[in-house]
This record gives sequence, structure tokens and C-alpha cells, in this order.
Amino acid sequence: MRKDLAELFTSRAFWLLLLFVGLLTGQSFISAVDAYAEASGIGGGAAALAQGLSPLDGILVPTAGAYDLAIMLLFPFVAIRLIASEKSSGAWKLMLQWPVKMRDHLLSKFVALLVAWLIALVPFAIAIALWLSYGGHLDARETLNLLFGYTLRYMLTASVAVAAAALMPGAANAAVVVLGLTIGTWALDFLAAGRGGFVQKLASFTPAATVRMFERGLLRLDAVLILLLLSLLAFAIAGIALDPLRKRFSVSIVIIAVAIALATQVRTSFDVSENRRNSFSAADERVLASIREPLTITVFLAAEDPRMNDYENNVLLKLRRAMPRLHVRYPYSGQSALFENDERYGEIHYRLGAKTAVNRSTTEEIVLETIDTLAAVERRPLPAAESSEYPGYPLAKRPVGAAWIFYLAWPIAVITACRPRTRRTG
Amino acid sequence: MSDVLRVSRLSARRGGREILRDVAFTVRDHEILGVIGPNGAGKTTLFECVAGVLPRTSGTIDGAPLFYVPDGIRPWPDQTVRWTLALNARMFATQVEPSLLDALDLTRLLDQTTASLSKGEAKRLGIALGLCVGPPTSAAAAGVGGATRDRVIFLDEPFDGLDFRQTRHAIDVLRNAKRTLVLSIHQLSDAVRVCDRFLLLDNGRVAGEGTLEELGGNLEEFFLA
Repeated sequence: MRKDLAELFTSRAFWLLLLFVGLLTGQSFISAVDAYAEASGIGGGAAALAQGLSPLDGILVPTAGAYDLAIMLLFPFVAIRLIASEKSSGAWKLMLQWPVKMRDHLLSKFVALLVAWLIALVPFAIAIALWLSYGGHLDARETLNLLFGYTLRYMLTASVAVAAAALMPGAANAAVVVLGLTIGTWALDFLAAGRGGFVQKLASFTPAATVRMFERGLLRLDAVLILLLLSLLAFAIAGIALDPLRKRFSVSIVIIAVAIALATQVRTSFDVSENRRNSFSAADERVLASIREPLTITVFLAAEDPRMNDYENNVLLKLRRAMPRLHVRYPYSGQSALFENDERYGEIHYRLGAKTAVNRSTTEEIVLETIDTLAAVERRPLPAAESSEYPGYPLAKRPVGAAWIFYLAWPIAVITACRPRTRRTG
Repeated sequence: MSDVLRVSRLSARRGGREILRDVAFTVRDHEILGVIGPNGAGKTTLFECVAGVLPRTSGTIDGAPLFYVPDGIRPWPDQTVRWTLALNARMFATQVEPSLLDALDLTRLLDQTTASLSKGEAKRLGIALGLCVGPPTSAAAAGVGGATRDRVIFLDEPFDGLDFRQTRHAIDVLRNAKRTLVLSIHQLSDAVRVCDRFLLLDNGRVAGEGTLEELGGNLEEFFLA
């Protein structure tokens, strides 16, 4: 394990990554705090947003966005180097003869990559500390959930990079494979919007889609399991590619593939957002959970229609959590529908048992009312001001000192730390 | 001298092409066996199959454990020679002998990165990597007939890139090491100077095995045939 850590710390790619992660995080954080201050009326006016702005949306997610970029475009190179350098230099042929199991070789690399990630999170920790020092509010569960989501995404990307480096001859080929896969998941995300069925299910596990869930304060067990299992699968593939005798890892791949298939069936999720944005009110959820008959919703909206986005994120996401027997159909899946003459376009059809209802609303209130009517249950009183509280808002503070820390102190610290480690390279 | 390693009916394919066919040979205790053959004879493939870093299609390898140092490696290019040698030795629970480093003229290079070594320096590092590897700690690793538990060291082209003086030095180091060695060698003059016996490999098949006298005394004819 010390070998891989030593390799990490002598790698220029790692120190360059740290430098850029600090700068990117600083830029994102400073912009986010400025925007938060503007929205909080720092110019002298009233706070701009009627409902408020949560620190999750206003500060944490934009700041973490820097890591989104780094995970996609910088970290893969560090992970690839950890394997490709040993393959191209001939070190791997020596390592294959060591009395060390392939599993332990890979575990050592995984730990080194995890250490790289933890060190790279230092700028994020600085941003959080600065925000708290400005008097900002953060919810611990939301913050940890977001970090967990990004860590899972990082693990998957790093594992895929390790697998690509193991499979491909040369670091450049491996980098093309990893970036190609990333672009592929974007395409899948785009294709799956408003499609339903298998494609939508598949797309809900792309790294970008799962991170979006964590950014909403949602912890989905299936996504966690699948990201972990996919990371494990990538490492198993790396094990097969790196082991000339390919002994046991092939069996592991089959086992992991079956586990992934099973994990897609897990429906447990936790709403850890401070304002419960992923849940109906507790009273609503109790009633919805008591409905035994399956509910089928047919959405006559195209994927690019903004109403579809509203309906998907503000209603269906909550309904899927509250009603296990919910089926959603998308008749316009894969069609633009811009030139459709279908009179039903814009309608949303509900069927519960033999009862049906049709309306065009995508708002939570109307949807719940419709389901209540179909299920013949008592209308519940509106939850009193449950979603109107946004702790921490407004906060009209400028990001004092942040630029000095991220744009000056951080680069100096990184350069100072890396010089004695990489100077020997010659 | 007793046999410490026995390779039988070893065959291997690479890219759909048969590189080795029914290769069989033995390695004796504390001898230096030279594997001789023209380019493309399958010497490197043979070493890699025996070491287990390449799969073989058939064949058995019985006897002492071994360690193989490939040709042209510069392992862990960002690390120093000291770090590289210490790491490899630690994996086999041994230590790097300063006298070996002196003999191979590596002492002055200990703080250089392996990337910065010249071809000859990298080659000497490879020899040191091989000779630093000690016997296995497990009793199960005894050789054929329990003759020895020391590792057989396979060095691929150990003199390639060395000048005349360095080659002479390296030959002395190998002879004084008192280890069981298998060397793949291009230069016949070097081979004759360092090896006790020879394995002649041609087009993936064994064309002969024995001492210089047993092979007729003239290896050049084998190359020119």
C-alpha cells in the first residue's frame, strides 16, 4: 500500500489536480456566496426570493460542482496513471511475481485513490469552514449526503479508469475510453428523459443522475448499491485484464452482475433534505401508502416540455417514494411531439382500479387531490408552512478572504508540498 | 549437480500464432544456463511463460520458485533506484546488499529516478533486482528432489546495452553470485564467457541443450544454419 501512496505523491498529475481543484472550488464557492448575498438583498433591497434559498442549493451544490468537473476530467488521469505507468515501465511484470494476491494489489490502488480523493476534498472543507465563519447555515445530514454522493461518483469513475488502464495498451487509449464512457452516460441521460421503462431506469443510475439525487438531499439505496457494485465490477475487470492467468475474477464478475440486477429492485430511499423537498407531508404519505390498488399514470407530454420536468421532479419523484405500486407511462417517449396534433397532448391520465381521471395540472396539490378523489379518501388539510422555512436565508455576506485562500494560499501550499516529492524525477 | 527446475512440453501462443511448441529443458543447481536463439526464436515468450506473466497453452513447470527480470524495464519511473530496489527486496523479505550495488556500480545512482537512468544503468538495475531476490520463506518451495530452495533467476538480455567493460563486470557479478541463473543472451561471445550450459531455441522449438562441448563447440553454426 505504501508503494501506491508513494506513486501517488510522486505523480505530477496528482499535484496538478490538487492545484486545479483548489482553484475551481474557490471560484465556485466565491460565485455562490456572492449570488447568495445578492439574493439575500446585499445591495440594500429586500431578499429577492419569496420562498428563500437553501444553503444546499445556494452554496453546497454550486461549490461541489467543481468536483463534478474534476471527477470527469481530472481524476481519471490520476487513476489511469497508477496502472498505466506500471504496465508501460515493466513494473507490473515484476509485481505479478511478488507473493501478493491480485486482490491485494487492487485494494492497495483503491486505498491510494481514496486517499487522493480525501486530500482533494480539503478545498471543499475550507469552503464549508469559510461559509460557517460568515454565519452561514448548513444541515449536517444534507452536507454529508452530498459528500457521500460525490464520493460514490468518484469511486465509480476511478474504478472505471483503473479498468480502462488495465484493459487498454497505453494511458492515452485508456483516457479515451473513460471520456467516451462519460459522454455515453450523458447521451443516455438525454435519451432517457421522459421515456420511462428500462431506458429511464438505466439512466437513473448514470453518475450524473445519481449525483443529482444526492444534490436534492435524497439518499437512494438502489443507487448507492449499484454505484458500489459497478465500482467493484470495474475492479474485477481490471483484475482479469491484469492477471495473465485469469483465475478467479471471472466468477466474481458473474456474481457482481447478478447482485447489480438484484440491486435495481431495491426501492428504499431516505429524504435527508432539511426542507423535505423529496417527500409529501407525513399525512399525505400515510394516506398514499394506504392505497392498495396500483395507480397508473399516463403522461401525454414530450421529454423536452418544461411541464414534464416539473411533473417528474416535483410530483413523480415523491409519488414513487410514497406509492410502491405506481406505474408511469410515457406515450411520447422518444418523440419531440412539437408537431403532434394529438388532442390529448398536455393531459395526464390517472387510473386507480376501475376509476379514471384526467387533468393537465403538474402541481403537487392538484395531483394529490386527483388521487384522493380516485381513492375516495378524505382530503387532508394543507401542511402549515412546512416548506416555507429555509434556515440560513437570507445571509448578505461577501466571501471575505476566500480569494486569498483559494487563489494564493492554496497554490503556494500545493507547490510547496509537491516540490520535494517530484523534484527527483529528473 | 541436481536439477532444480524442470520445464516439460511447454507451448504458448501469442496473437493466434504459436510461439513455443513442446519446449522442454532442465535447470541445474547453481548453474548458469544460457538460452540462445536468433531474434523471434521465442526466448522472451519462454521466460514470460515460465514466470507466469504470460499464459501458456500447455506444459508443466516443476521445481524451485523463480524470479524473472524482463528486458528493457524501468520500473516505477518516478521513484529512485534506492526505493525500487528496496521495494522489490522487501517483497521477498530480503535486503539489498551494498556490495552488490558497488559491484554493479549502482551506489552512485541510488538517488536517481529510474526514468533518468541510461540504458546500461537500467540494465544493471535489472540485474540487481534479480539478484536481490532471495529464497522463498515457505518450505513448500523446495526444488526437484529437495536439492535447493533458492530461487532460479531468469534475466532477459542482461548484457544488452552494456559496453564491453560493463559487460565484463556484470559477468563477474553473475558468476560470483553463486546463484542458479537462466540468461537469455544475444551475443554469443558473452554467452560462452558466462554460461555453463546452453539451451538452443529456434522458431519456438528446442534445437539443443547441453554444454558447449556437448553441442559441438561452435554456436555460430546454429545461428547461421
